Amino acid sequence: MSDNQKRGARVTSKRVNSFVADIVTYLLIAVFSIFFLFPIYWTFITSIKVSADTFTSKFIPFIQFEPTLKGWIEQLQAAENYKALLNSTIIGLASAALATFLGSMAGYTLARFEFRRFFKNSDIISWFLSLRIMPPIALALPFYALMLYFGIIDTLPAVILIHTAFFMPYAVLVTRDAFKSLPKEFEESALVDGSSRIQIFFKIALPLAAPALVATYIIIFAFSWNEFLFAYVLTNKAAVTMPVYIAGTVTTVGVLFDVLSVRAILTILPPILLGFIIQRYLISGLTMGAVKG
Amino acid sequence: MVKGVKAMVRDRVKFLFILPPVLYILTLVVFPLGSAIITSFTNARFGSVESSFVGLRNYIAPFDDYRFYNSVYVTLFFVSVIVPIEIGLGLVLALLMNRNFKGRNILRVIFMIPLFVSPIAFALMGQVIFYEGGGGINGILKDLGLPVVRWRSHPQTAIFTVVLADVWMWTPFVFLIVLAGLQSIPKELIEAAKVDGASGIQLFRRITLPMLTPVILTVLFFRIVDTLRLFEIPFTLLGGGGPGITTETLTVYIYKAGFRGFFFGQAAAMSFIYLVLVSLIVGVLLYRVRKYYV
Repeated sequence: MSDNQKRGARVTSKRVNSFVADIVTYLLIAVFSIFFLFPIYWTFITSIKVSADTFTSKFIPFIQFEPTLKGWIEQLQAAENYKALLNSTIIGLASAALATFLGSMAGYTLARFEFRRFFKNSDIISWFLSLRIMPPIALALPFYALMLYFGIIDTLPAVILIHTAFFMPYAVLVTRDAFKSLPKEFEESALVDGSSRIQIFFKIALPLAAPALVATYIIIFAFSWNEFLFAYVLTNKAAVTMPVYIAGTVTTVGVLFDVLSVRAILTILPPILLGFIIQRYLISGLTMGAVKG
Repeated sequence: MVKGVKAMVRDRVKFLFILPPVLYILTLVVFPLGSAIITSFTNARFGSVESSFVGLRNYIAPFDDYRFYNSVYVTLFFVSVIVPIEIGLGLVLALLMNRNFKGRNILRVIFMIPLFVSPIAFALMGQVIFYEGGGGINGILKDLGLPVVRWRSHPQTAIFTVVLADVWMWTPFVFLIVLAGLQSIPKELIEAAKVDGASGIQLFRRITLPMLTPVILTVLFFRIVDTLRLFEIPFTLLGGGGPGITTETLTVYIYKAGFRGFFFGQAAAMSFIYLVLVSLIVGVLLYRVRKYYV
């Protein structure tokens, strides 16, 4: 029996109230569930319809329409899908690694050391935080020009470089939080034993913060996977990511809704699955460490 | 122990640690932005090497451009409509989910899904769901004998479609974070208030809401910042901010000016006006929110 229910038992009117509240809760929750699940469900059933059925409102497989895996089989055999998926994977893995590593260096420093001259720790933190408000388009133009200058437009490194820069502030603030919550004792005794700062960082601090670092890595991977503007500006053929590729889908496949749906699911599935894994760290990750989960 | 802490403070190795990430951002973010300031005072065009200084022309031109005004208006309109709806719905959902009932944990996971859906993937799903000839919502409306909605081809409803899409994608963000905030309110506090005879509404106004303020401000900060850069749904689902320019946000317009019209100088100038606008809007909020970090 929950605390709520216990008190409800004391007074009858309260019991009636809580009964009504329960009904309202369930009703509203049902509405929210339908709202959030509808697009996902609809995309899924469209992906297993034959093309002609995609224009109908039939939504119960086997009963209203005969499901088919034709769209899935076709799309899973198309080499161009794999290329975009592979590009997205490489860019995600690399930029998440770079951002998490560089970010944890700053995060560790801000958690363990104190800057006093020129600028304080709080100034550096504010600087990283304020990068978050910059509109991406303001950076997209000059960054494009810079990549053009280096001749690496439409290559994976171009996208990796910008994703690392763009998502690093997350890593800085989240890992700072993680390092701050670790006990200092291990590091201090290692210092007394004669280990260098760099050894301590790599051999003690990083392993101790591993769960938070992995979560940060995964969140940045998902951010990078879903990022569109920079990838769209910087790539056109060889290095297209999945979002860029599917954005072009509309013009090439028109209203082949089964194809659209399969590709949409291929795009959303990896981040969703990863998101489930790091649920516990999600809130801290999304708010750059301001709110703990 | 005190000695150890002091050593930490003094240790110069901290510069070695903070330098690589700071240099990285300086090189790939601050330097390009700085160079764009120079570009914004020239008539630089895409692909051409020659460009000359044109003074403040690029900064004056937008104020004489109805499409720039339009995109500022569209952007601010979306922020002022979308953010309150998302905060409101997210708050309601979090309060509901803070109650004890069966299946709560499963639902929490389900409500998390939209957070990981890339806006472009949602735009693609939207092609199907908002298809006007049938299939998605219109197919169901037809079956129910209701009038169909011109989700993407009519100006007013297209605006509504953008709002709906954003609310779908980002209400879960508000919900998850507010729920975390709710669950971090000490139970004793609420118990004590109840013993003192506080009603449900009093409880919410006097305890829950004040305790949630930091969380709500944080959420507000992130939602305003992200809605100000609204791009993907208008750009892809509505074909570049259409119909016409009804959903052409600042990011869409600057993108078009820079990468379709190839007016780099003008686009750079508009970017900086945009940056100033963003800073003005979220500056105060940023100042409040930074306290939760430092």
